[in-house]
Amino acid sequence: MKILVHKQELCTGCRACEVACSTAYFKTPDRNKSAIRIINNDNSFHARKCTQCGECIDMCTAHAIYRDKNGVVRIDKKLCVGCLGCVGYCSELVMFYDDDLTEPFKCIACNICVKACPENALEVLVSKAG
Amino acid sequence: MITVNTREQAYQAGMTVRDLLDRNQFTFRHIIVRVNGEYVPEEQYDKAPVQDGDDVLVLHLMAGG
Amino acid sequence: MRQILKEYTYTPATIQRGYSGKSLYLNVSDLRMEEKVVTEFMKEKFIGGKGFDLWYLWQAVTPETRWDSPENEIVMSVGPLGGITQYSGTGKTLVCAISPMTGIPIDSNAGGYFGPLLKFSGWDALELQGKTEKELVIFIDGNKGLIQFCDAEGLPEDSHLLAEELTRNYAESEEDQVNVSVVSSGSAARNILYGMLNFSFYDPRRKVVRFKQAARGGLGTIMLDKGIKALVVRYKGIKGNTNNPADVATLNRIGVKYHKEMHDLDEKQNGMRKIGTANTILVMNQYDLLPTRNFQTGGDPAAVNISPKVFIEQYLTQGIHDGCWYGCTMSCAKTADHFRLLTGPYAGACVTVDGPEYECVAGLGSNLGIFDPRAILEENFYCDTYGVDLISFATTVAFIMECYQRGQISREQMGGLDLAFGNSDAVLELLHQMARGEGFGPIAGLGIRRLKKLFAEQFGSDPALLQDIGMENKGLEYSEYCHKESLAQQGGFALTNKGPQHDEAWLIFMDMVNNQIPTFEDKAYALYYYPMFRTWFGLCGLCKLPWNDIVPADNYKTETPAKVPEHVQNYVDIFNAVTGKSIDKEELILQSERVYQFQRVFNIRMGKGLREHDYAPYRSLGPVSREEYLSRQELYDRQLREKQGLDPASMSLDEKIATTRAYREQQFELLMDAVYKRRGWTENGVPKPEHLREIGMDLPMLLEVIEPHL
Repeated sequence: MKILVHKQELCTGCRACEVACSTAYFKTPDRNKSAIRIINNDNSFHARKCTQCGECIDMCTAHAIYRDKNGVVRIDKKLCVGCLGCVGYCSELVMFYDDDLTEPFKCIACNICVKACPENALEVLVSKAG
Repeated sequence: MITVNTREQAYQAGMTVRDLLDRNQFTFRHIIVRVNGEYVPEEQYDKAPVQDGDDVLVLHLMAGG
Repeated sequence: MRQILKEYTYTPATIQRGYSGKSLYLNVSDLRMEEKVVTEFMKEKFIGGKGFDLWYLWQAVTPETRWDSPENEIVMSVGPLGGITQYSGTGKTLVCAISPMTGIPIDSNAGGYFGPLLKFSGWDALELQGKTEKELVIFIDGNKGLIQFCDAEGLPEDSHLLAEELTRNYAESEEDQVNVSVVSSGSAARNILYGMLNFSFYDPRRKVVRFKQAARGGLGTIMLDKGIKALVVRYKGIKGNTNNPADVATLNRIGVKYHKEMHDLDEKQNGMRKIGTANTILVMNQYDLLPTRNFQTGGDPAAVNISPKVFIEQYLTQGIHDGCWYGCTMSCAKTADHFRLLTGPYAGACVTVDGPEYECVAGLGSNLGIFDPRAILEENFYCDTYGVDLISFATTVAFIMECYQRGQISREQMGGLDLAFGNSDAVLELLHQMARGEGFGPIAGLGIRRLKKLFAEQFGSDPALLQDIGMENKGLEYSEYCHKESLAQQGGFALTNKGPQHDEAWLIFMDMVNNQIPTFEDKAYALYYYPMFRTWFGLCGLCKLPWNDIVPADNYKTETPAKVPEHVQNYVDIFNAVTGKSIDKEELILQSERVYQFQRVFNIRMGKGLREHDYAPYRSLGPVSREEYLSRQELYDRQLREKQGLDPASMSLDEKIATTRAYREQQFELLMDAVYKRRGWTENGVPKPEHLREIGMDLPMLLEVIEPHL
C-alpha cells in the first residue's frame, strides 16, 4: 500500500506541493485543483490528503472507484458520473472537486509533490500490508 | 393538568419528559420535544422535569409515504 | 439480434438547461415515428414529467376512450431535473395513461435508468399509441440516433429473465450493460387489470438486472394490450453536466452538502441506507397504523417477525451502493441476494429480490395476516417478475380474505384456494394462477371495485358490507396505512386525483399524533400544500424520499419542521440552477397547482372528478365491525363522550358503532367542504374558473369541460 505522509514539523507552508499537484494534473497552479491542501492552523501546517482508507469504494454510485495493485484508491474517469457522492461521504474531507471539472479528484500517492517540496516534508511510504 | 400536543392530560408529581413519552407510548426515535416552547435535547429526557400546567409539544418527524 | 420490422434514424437533440426540446411519438399500429417540438408553453405551464404526460394524454384521448382503446396512450417523461447526478433521487420517470382500474388518468413514477437515458437520447417525453397483434420490442439508441421496432418472438415472459436477456442483447459489451434500461411487465399482466411496469437498471456489483416499478393503475396491462413487450433504451456518456445546466456550481455545492448530510445523519435518523423504506414497520405497528388483516386493526404483536432487524440480519445485503439512479446516496433500494425460491415455475432458482419496501412488507405481510419474512420476499419476487402491482394485489387479496372470513364467499367460489388470513401458500398459488391465467387468479386480478359487483351478483354476498370493507376509491386500491384515526389522511387518500395512493399527502403523524392541524381549515391547508408540493417532484423527475426521509441537523429549529424548509430551498435552487429560471418556493407551488388542477379537470372530462367520486369506504373512516370497535373500545368510547357528549355506558355496542359512524361520516363531509374551498373548487369538487384564472390556468380547453358543471 502506498500512502503520502506529511511531516508537520518540517512543513513551512510554502504550498509548493499544491502548485506541483495541480500543475501536473490540471496544467494550472490552482490550489482548488490540488489533491493536497496545506492548512494553516496558527502557523502550524497540516496537510489534507487521501489516507487511502477506501471507504468511498463501496459507496460510489457508479462503481467507478477501485483500489489498484499498489493499494492506491483511484477513480476511473470513464465510469465516474460526477455525482460527488464520494466528496460528501469522505470522512476525512479529502475527496475534492472543482466546478471546472466533471469528476472529483484525490491524492494517488504519485510522488510529484514529494519531489517539489523544498523542505522534504512529504514522503510516499510503501507498506506491504494491503 | 398538563397539555401534550394541545390535548390535556393528568399531571403526575415528579414526572420527567421520559415518563411522559413512556406514558403516551411515544416510542418513535425521531422526535422533537419542547416544554413551554423550550427545546429539550434527547440527552436530557431522563432528567428534564415536567411541571403542573406545562405545555408540552412532542413533534414526531415521521416522513411517511 | 432481433428481427427489425421498421427502423428510423434521427439526430439526437442536445440537452439545454434540462430540456431536449423534442418529444418522441411512436404508433405501434403502423410502426410510425414522429418528432414533436416541446413548446415554451408546455415548459411554462406543465414543466415536464407528469405535466408533459398529462398534456399529451389529453390530446390523445376523448371522453369515450377506455383503457384498451387504441388511442389510449402510455406517456413517459423524466422532467427537467431528471438525470442530474449531483443530488439524490433525480432519476424518476413519470408514466401516465387512462387506467383500467379507474377510467381516468393514472400517474405512476419509477426509478431505474429509463427516463434519464431517454432524455439524454434526445427525448423529453415518449408517447406510445396504437395497438398491434404482433408483439414488439422497441429499441432506442441515443448515441446512434436509432429507433427500431423489433419482433419480440421467442423472448421470455417474466421481467427478471426478459430484462436480463434484452440488456445483454442490446449492450455492446459486458461493461455497456449499465447504459441499457428496459421497461417490461410479466406474464400475469396479461391476465389481470393491475399489471405494472418494471424499469430496469444494471447493477455492476451484483452483476444482475434490477427493477423499480411504475406500479399503480395497470400500466403493464395497457402496455401488453398494445402489443409492446418491452422498451429498451441505450445511452452512454452520463456526466454531472449532461443536462447542460445553467449553473453547475450551484448544483455541485448543494449536492455535496446533501451527500454530507446523508453521511452524517442517516444512521441517527431513518437508516434509509440500511433498510430503506421498510424502516418504519415497527413504528407503524406501535402507533396503530400498520394495516393488519384488511385494515381491520393497526398492528399485531407478530409484527416483530417482520421487523427491519430481521430483514437486515437475515436477508438484505449491506454496505454497498443501492440507489436506483446515479448520485442517490440515500440508496434505499435494498436487495435480498441469493434468495432461493420455493414455489412456482422458478422453484429452486437463486434470485435477487428487489425490496422489500414498506408497502411490500405491510401489504403482502401484515395486511394479509402474514408475518413470515421469507414468504413476503417470495411474494415480492413473484409480484415483480410477473408484473403485478403489489399494492393493488395485496389490498385486493386482503379484501378477498375478509370476505372469506366473514362467510361472504366460499372456498369453492375461490376455485378451492384457502385464502384465509395468514395462508401465504395460498397467496403464492394465487399469484401463479394469475401468471398462468387460470383458476381464481384472473378473477382476483379484476381489483376490488369489480369484485364487489361480481361477488354480490354471482355469489350473493352482502353489497353493503363489501362496500364498507373494500378498500378502494375511484377504482384504485388503497396503499398500506391503517389511517382510521387521522381525518386528514382519510382526505389524503380519497381526495386525490388518481386514487388513494399516499404520494399526494402523508399527514398521519402531523394530524393524529402531533395534533398540529386540529381545525378543518388546518387540515384543508395541509391537503392543499402537501399535494401541491409533492406534485412538483413528479413534474421535475424527482423522488420524494430525499425531501424528508433525512432532515438537516437543525431542522427542529425551523418554524415548520414538517416542510423541511432547507430542503425545499435546495429544490428551488436546483431548479433554477438547471433551468436558468428564477423561481421561489411560492412559484414552485404554483407550478404544481397548475398541473394538479389540470388533472382534476381531466378527471371530470373522463366522467369522474366530482364530489361523488371522492367518498371513502367506511373502513377508511372508522370501525366497521364489532371486533374492530372492541379492539379500541376505550378510544372510541372516549370519543363518544368527548366529541359527541354521549354516555357510552348507556349505549349498546351496535348503537355505539352506528353513532360513531354517523359522526365520522359527517366529519368527512365537513373535511371535503373545507378542502374543496381551499383548493378553489365548487362544493361539487369542480375547479372554479376564477381560481383557474388566478393561477394562470384558465385555458379554453379546461373551461369548456367545467362549464356544464358550474
